[in-house]
This record gives sequence, C-alpha cells and structure tokens, in this order.
Amino acid sequence: MTSERKINANRANARASTGPKTAPGRTRVARNAFRHGLSLPVCSDPVLSEEVETLARKIAGPDADAISMAFARQIAEAQIDLRRVCDARHRLLSNTMSNQYYDTHANARRKVKLIGLLLRPDAPEMSVETLTKLVTSTPQGPRKLATILSQEAKQLLALDRYERRARSKRKSAIRGFDATQKQSRSVMSSVTSDMQL
Amino acid sequence: MIERIRRASAKAGLNGQSIAPASPERWALFGPPQLLEGEDAAAYDQLLARICAAVKPVDVIDEIFIVDVASLEWEVLRWRRLKFSLLRGLRLQALENFLREHVDYFASELAEILRDILPKHQADAAEDLANKCCSEEPKAVDRVGKLLGEVGTDLDQVVTDGTRRKAEILVRKYERGEAGAVKQVNKLLAGQGESLDRLLVGNLVNDVDDNNLNDIERIDRLTTIAESRRNASLREIDRRRAVLGAALRRNVQEIEEGEYKVIEASAGGKTRFDE
Repeated sequence: MTSERKINANRANARASTGPKTAPGRTRVARNAFRHGLSLPVCSDPVLSEEVETLARKIAGPDADAISMAFARQIAEAQIDLRRVCDARHRLLSNTMSNQYYDTHANARRKVKLIGLLLRPDAPEMSVETLTKLVTSTPQGPRKLATILSQEAKQLLALDRYERRARSKRKSAIRGFDATQKQSRSVMSSVTSDMQL
Repeated sequence: MIERIRRASAKAGLNGQSIAPASPERWALFGPPQLLEGEDAAAYDQLLARICAAVKPVDVIDEIFIVDVASLEWEVLRWRRLKFSLLRGLRLQALENFLREHVDYFASELAEILRDILPKHQADAAEDLANKCCSEEPKAVDRVGKLLGEVGTDLDQVVTDGTRRKAEILVRKYERGEAGAVKQVNKLLAGQGESLDRLLVGNLVNDVDDNNLNDIERIDRLTTIAESRRNASLREIDRRRAVLGAALRRNVQEIEEGEYKVIEASAGGKTRFDE
C-alpha cells in the first residue's frame, strides 16, 4: 500500500511538471504531433477554402446549377489537396537536397565514432587533411538524390498514399461533373428540338 | 534532355514563341512548377507549352490534366536521368577498380618522383635509375627503396598511389571519349576477357553495402508510378475529348437541322421539310 507521504509527494511532483509555462513554449509543444497536416481536410484552412471556392467557380462556369457546382467544389477540393501533397513532397526533397551536410545514417554514425576515437587519449594518428576529408565528405549529385530517396522512403511512401487518394477523389468528381454536364446538355437539346417543332 | 525538348519545340515550330495558356491567372491556381536544384525552369515551361499546344484545352479541367501530364512527364524524365547518372557512375567506378589492378605503372612516372627526391646535380640520373628499377635490377631497386625511405614512403606505396592516379586519369579521359584512352581501355578489357557490362554487374552484385541495386529498383518504381499516373491523365483527356466530340457532333447536327424549316402539311396529309 502506498503511503500518504508518497502520494502527496507524487501529487506535488506532478503539479510541478505540467509542461511548458511560457506562451512560445506552449505554442511549440502544441505542434509536437504535427507532421505535414495532410490528414486535415482542405476546408479546415481558411486560405485553402478560399482557393477551393475560386477554382470551383472557374470549373463550374457562370451559369452552373447546384449539382454541377457541388461536383466542381469536389474537384477543386481534390485538386488543392493534391497540390498540398505535391508541395509537401517537393519541400521534403528540396530541403534535403539543399542541406550540404546531408549524409547516410551509416556514414554519420561512422563519423561520430571516428571523432569519438580521436578524442580519446590513445587516439590514432591522422593528418588534418585526411580527417577533414573523412568528416566533411558527403554524397553529391545523383548519389545524394538516391540517398535521399532511400533514407526518406518511409515519408515519401506516406505522401504517395495521400497523393493516390487525392487523385482518385478528383477522378471520380470529374467523371460526376462530366456526366452532369452531359445530362444537362441533352436536356437542353431536347428542349430546343421541342421548341423547334 | 533540355536540348531534346528545345529541338522538339523548334521542330514543332514553337521556338522562341511562348505558347501562353488561355489565361495566366488560371495557371497560377496550380502552383509553381516543382523543380529541384539544378533543373531548368525554361525547359519545363517549354514542355508545358508543347503539351498545351497539342491538347488545346477548352476548360479548366483540361488545364488541370495538362499541368498534371507536364509535371508527371518531368518527373519521369528526372527519374530516368537519375538512373542513367547512377549507372554511369557505377560503371566508371567499376572500370577504375579494374584499371587499378591491370594498368601498368611506367618508369616515366617513377622517374618524375625520383627527380623531386634526388639532389639537383643527380636529377638527370632519375630516368636511368627508374628504368633500371622497373626492369628489376637489384642495385637500382635497393637505391630507389632507400631514396623513397628517406621521404617516408616505399616502392609499393608509390606504385599503388601511381596506379590509382593513372587509373583515375585514364577513366576521366575515357569518359570524355578521347580516342587514345578508349583504345587503351578496350585493349586492357579484351586482354582480361572482360567487358564494361560485366564489370558493372560485378560492381552491383558485390557492393551489397552500398545498396546500389536497391536504389536502382526504387528509382524504377518511382518511374513506373509517375508513368502510370501520366497515362491515367492522358486517358482522362481522351475520354473527355470523346465526350466533347459527341457533344460537338450533336451541336453540329442541331445547327444543320435548324437550317431546315417545316412546311405546312400538304393536301396529301404529308409533312415536308425544305431548305
């Protein structure tokens, strides 16, 4: 059985560790679980919602009925979602490509090990030139891009899943929109021929 | 690739002529082109302009597909280029490894090193000493060994460094397509019954730690995904064109029918159409 003294101490300790106190600290930890925000619907962002509306109006045209407008909104939503995913992937690739110290995990571990060895009293002798070459060498050019694709594969795969979903949504919405347009065109043409007769 | 697009654009009569899409603000809705470091924005614009000129978009949805096809095609080209560069690098690396073992380190290179080590008044004897050392005259080998020892190295080290350097230079010349280097490399390969393809395969299979095969497979997968998505967009354009074609045919028919007028029923009770 836990003693009263221990319970009180636990409660006091718990009260003392309730996370960051300052506003910037709280803002920072609020984003701890945030990765790319792609699981959030486009409409939850006011800026993107505005873009969806603009694109939807352009897709549907000026004299669109309610059904066409609904499909147009779906297309626009999927299109903006797709752009968001592509942007996230592009950002990931560009940021890593522009990081001049980007290296394979294995090489980074080897470098840390080497530096650790050199800091010991019985460190092996090595010229500054060789050491600089060993520590600063990173993959360059096509090898760097291949390394990024290999090391960021998990993240890229996750983004690819979002992209596939957005493409699929957009395709169905476009087919629905086209079918509605076709239907309204045939109704219009039958009305016109009735009027001619 | 960039040159190829430019050539293709010139062939199609697009050179220097900007095929501006229907309205620029519409294209802004699709965001900026997603180019990586070192990729040519002008070449991307040309690709987009070519596709736009071929499809002739009639609405925003067509434009969505055009941007899609252009960016996916760009991606396909990017992955193909990456695979080609990686394979070329691996091939040259394999060739360099092969040359390190099979290229001869000649007396002239040794003579140059000896010239730097020997006192100035004996520098002229460097070539003679190197020649004798290469033909394995014991006295010359001993002397060269001692001289190299004075500067903290030995004959084995000099030969290893020399062949490495020579192999590097030969590979660089081979890459540039210099006739002499190509001939020399081909002769060395033929002499050992090897070929560049076999060396490359050996390099891919043996360097398991480098994950080269996995990298190539991953790039192939990315290429296939981009290609299938591009083809899906092209199919959608085709489908929409068919719908558009049917609608246009109907409209033409209606216009043609509108040219006719109904003439009142004749005495025989028949209705007649006339132009």
